[in-house]
Amino acid sequence: MAAMTPTPNPPPSEQDQLRPHVFDGDIQEYDKRLPNWWLMTLYGAIIFWVGYWFYYERAHLGLSNAAAVDQQMAIIEAKRLADAPVVDDASLWKMSRNPVFVEAGRATFNSTCASCHTVALTGAIGPNLVDQKWIHGGRPSEVYHTVTTGVLVKGMPSWGPVLGAKKVTEVVAYVLSYHHEGEAVEVQDAWIPILPK
Amino acid sequence: MSEQKITIEYNDKIVRYFLLATVIWGAVGMLVGVLIASQLNFWQMNFSTPWLTFGRLRPLHTNAAIFAFVGNMMFAGVYYSTQRLCRARLASDFLSWVHFWGWQLIIVSAAITLPLGLTRGKEYAELIWPINIAVALIWVVFAVNFFWTLARRREPALYVALWFYIATIVTVAMLYIVNHLSIPTSLLHSYPVFSGVQDGLVQWWYGHNAVAFFLTTPILGIMYYYLPKAAGRPVYSYRLSVVHFWSLVFVYIWAGPHHLLNTALPGWLQNLGMTFSLMLWAPSWGGMLNGLLTLRGAWDKLRTDPVLKFFAAGVTFYGMSTFEGPLLSIKSVNALAHYTDWIIAHVHGGTLGWNGFMAAGMIYWLLPRLWSKPLHSVSLANLHFWIGTVGILLYMGAMWTSGITQGLMLNATTDHGTVLAYPNFLDTLNTIRPLMLMRVVGGGLYLTGWLVLVYNLVRTIRGAQPVNGTIEVVVETPAPETKMSLAGTFLNAPIVFCILAVVFGNMWMLGGNLVSTIGLVGGIMSLIALYALVPSRKSLWNGWYEKLLLNALPFTLLTFVSVAAGGLIQIVPTIIMQKPKNVEDRIQVPYTPLELAGRDLYVREGCYNCHSQMIRTLVPDVLRYGPYSRLGESIYDHPFQWGSKRTGPDLARVGGKYPDVWHIRHMENPRSISVGSNMPNYPWLLSNNLDISTLPSKLKVQRLLGVPYPAQSAQEIFDEVGSQQRTISRDLRLAGAYVAPEKEIIALVAYLQTLGKSVPVQPATH
Repeated sequence: MAAMTPTPNPPPSEQDQLRPHVFDGDIQEYDKRLPNWWLMTLYGAIIFWVGYWFYYERAHLGLSNAAAVDQQMAIIEAKRLADAPVVDDASLWKMSRNPVFVEAGRATFNSTCASCHTVALTGAIGPNLVDQKWIHGGRPSEVYHTVTTGVLVKGMPSWGPVLGAKKVTEVVAYVLSYHHEGEAVEVQDAWIPILPK
Repeated sequence: MSEQKITIEYNDKIVRYFLLATVIWGAVGMLVGVLIASQLNFWQMNFSTPWLTFGRLRPLHTNAAIFAFVGNMMFAGVYYSTQRLCRARLASDFLSWVHFWGWQLIIVSAAITLPLGLTRGKEYAELIWPINIAVALIWVVFAVNFFWTLARRREPALYVALWFYIATIVTVAMLYIVNHLSIPTSLLHSYPVFSGVQDGLVQWWYGHNAVAFFLTTPILGIMYYYLPKAAGRPVYSYRLSVVHFWSLVFVYIWAGPHHLLNTALPGWLQNLGMTFSLMLWAPSWGGMLNGLLTLRGAWDKLRTDPVLKFFAAGVTFYGMSTFEGPLLSIKSVNALAHYTDWIIAHVHGGTLGWNGFMAAGMIYWLLPRLWSKPLHSVSLANLHFWIGTVGILLYMGAMWTSGITQGLMLNATTDHGTVLAYPNFLDTLNTIRPLMLMRVVGGGLYLTGWLVLVYNLVRTIRGAQPVNGTIEVVVETPAPETKMSLAGTFLNAPIVFCILAVVFGNMWMLGGNLVSTIGLVGGIMSLIALYALVPSRKSLWNGWYEKLLLNALPFTLLTFVSVAAGGLIQIVPTIIMQKPKNVEDRIQVPYTPLELAGRDLYVREGCYNCHSQMIRTLVPDVLRYGPYSRLGESIYDHPFQWGSKRTGPDLARVGGKYPDVWHIRHMENPRSISVGSNMPNYPWLLSNNLDISTLPSKLKVQRLLGVPYPAQSAQEIFDEVGSQQRTISRDLRLAGAYVAPEKEIIALVAYLQTLGKSVPVQPATH
């Protein structure tokens, strides 16, 4: 076994020899071969560059960033349309009496809506949601529409794209749980924010 | 020939000064780092005070760490080793002192201006224009002093450490000047000449290569001098030095666009940035290998010698960071990691692990030699090593976990991929809070280790006699036949092959079909020719390179050409092409004067340190923030504010999303609206009056830079500002939240409400 009996003085190979020059009294240099695995990483990266560049920039086989995301968003939009829940007034009222829907809606409301409408829904920057005054319509389907598309001029963000139809439905159900079918709906012109002094 | 011997005394006093400055500024930079890390977890630590908020202190931290800490360390290390590698005293004591005091003055002015909110709004390039000029001048002083010393060297050949110093000096000058090109609007304020995508490209060409040529190449040079000295072992491989030096300086420059992956930056630049970053892996590891393999035969000394411990760990961290860098440059990895704490982990592996540990090793090695007294305590140095190592590991472990966790949460979707799983950004922020706290602990430990070094240093030099190295040299004149002419520099096979490779490569990459084919054929033929010629010409070419090492000026020239290539090919076409008239799809509407004033406040408060303005071409970004940002939507932004970190959400389309009153309350106290937010309070924006006196000169400069503002008199500008201020203030009054028109917050709200309000471009009629 060669490993068991080390040769005391291996003959110096070319690369074990020091380069003749000495710097600052004691700095010397070997001139060892470049490790093969290291050269492979270098050549591998160069080959990858050629292939990648050919694929995307010369042959245009891959999609550009914008085209790729446009395509993915179109698929998402299609799925959303296909999965769109029924949002007529009757079903929304029904959901507002379902504790599972209302609880899920409460969680989303408190994290997303309460900063403007308060946890009690009594309004601050955004309007009161428990009184019977509505600015953009008090019918369930109108509330759903307001949450989904927002009222940008008044600072109500469009939550549909961010929350998705399911969460919006739950939030609307939660808001409606403070109301009952057939209650009076008053029209309000605008909301004057209530701000802490 | 009669041999006349003289004794030279090295200028080690300047080294001692730079060394002490390193130690002091290192402590300051790390202390500010621990403070701002704490602010991220405890918003109260911003003290609702302008000059103590995160947005102003984070630039102080980065500038202190890079330019004050590593800068002084570099100067100490370079000056000590260059004199010895040249066997010559530094050329000018006067220039050395100008360099030292000039640099410290720059640092002090940075430390004053940054907390005051005087900033250019570009990362690691925040300092205002008068300081920029001072930096450029002092850098020239450094360069003159260095090259003058090289010219007077008694050691004919340039050792590898000097190659890296040369690359550093030349490249930093080029990067710094181009990225700081600005037009002043007043003594304390300027607008960068580039805007939008151009500014982004130039900024990250600079930012990435500041890492390369300020934090990497000088430290590699320092490694090549101090590590073999400390280990008492020869450098592992000269030819590895040659290959990795040239490949590193050439490739590094191209990789800048990897900071802008999946953004509005044109796709070809992103692909260049990504592929060149991958090609950077091997050249970087060449340096690590030469460092670690030099320790072969000296590993036993690691047990006892803290210097070698620091060097071995530092080089290992270098290897880790330079593997992580290419990994993060892969577009799909970047989609997860960008804007998160993973990047913070990555840069701190470099600064704490590589720069900090190499600095510590160098300081412990230099102390006994500069003060002629043994180190006060080897045990304390070992303690420093272990505290520092545990600190880095905690820091990086925390930030990796935090970055990946938040990245996964931000990108997560439910309902068949149609809806964000965590639509509320704050949910993701509050998930990583324990990790942010762990980061503070890690950083605090690292700082503690550094303070142990400070104590050890004080105890070592107290009562010690400063000593300057001397050397006896033979007076001789260099042999004339070693001089290399300009033709000899460029007209020789190795350089011609390199030039052919770059030219053919670029023709293939960027040319039209014909040019591209010529490039491909030419490239393949050059490769074949090279392959055929190497065996017979190898020794000839080696001889040429040995001769080049005797010629500092040609060497410097070749270095400059190799670093300039990448920048030219990326930046010039972008500046020529990305003009408003060439923009497709959507284009920005120029800001009103009030909105511009608000934007300058946004820059002053350093909002870009936590908020991006760039919705990437990625589904989770589009779902969260709206349609992806178009190139034309920031085309008038001097400086661009795309950002690099999202501690808070992206703001590219925040305009019109919330009412004005929301922003007023949110800026006054973010937690009154966003429960759990870590954003500082900005009460002064509600009490300070907006300074509009500088607006006319600001608009004049904007017009000069090509933003289509009409020529207006100062009075017309003030009238326009006043009218918009009054409109916003009146609307706020109606909303029950009156703020006087002249307050700063009105301008900031005007700016925020216009973000993302671009218009479609009319298709050009032919």
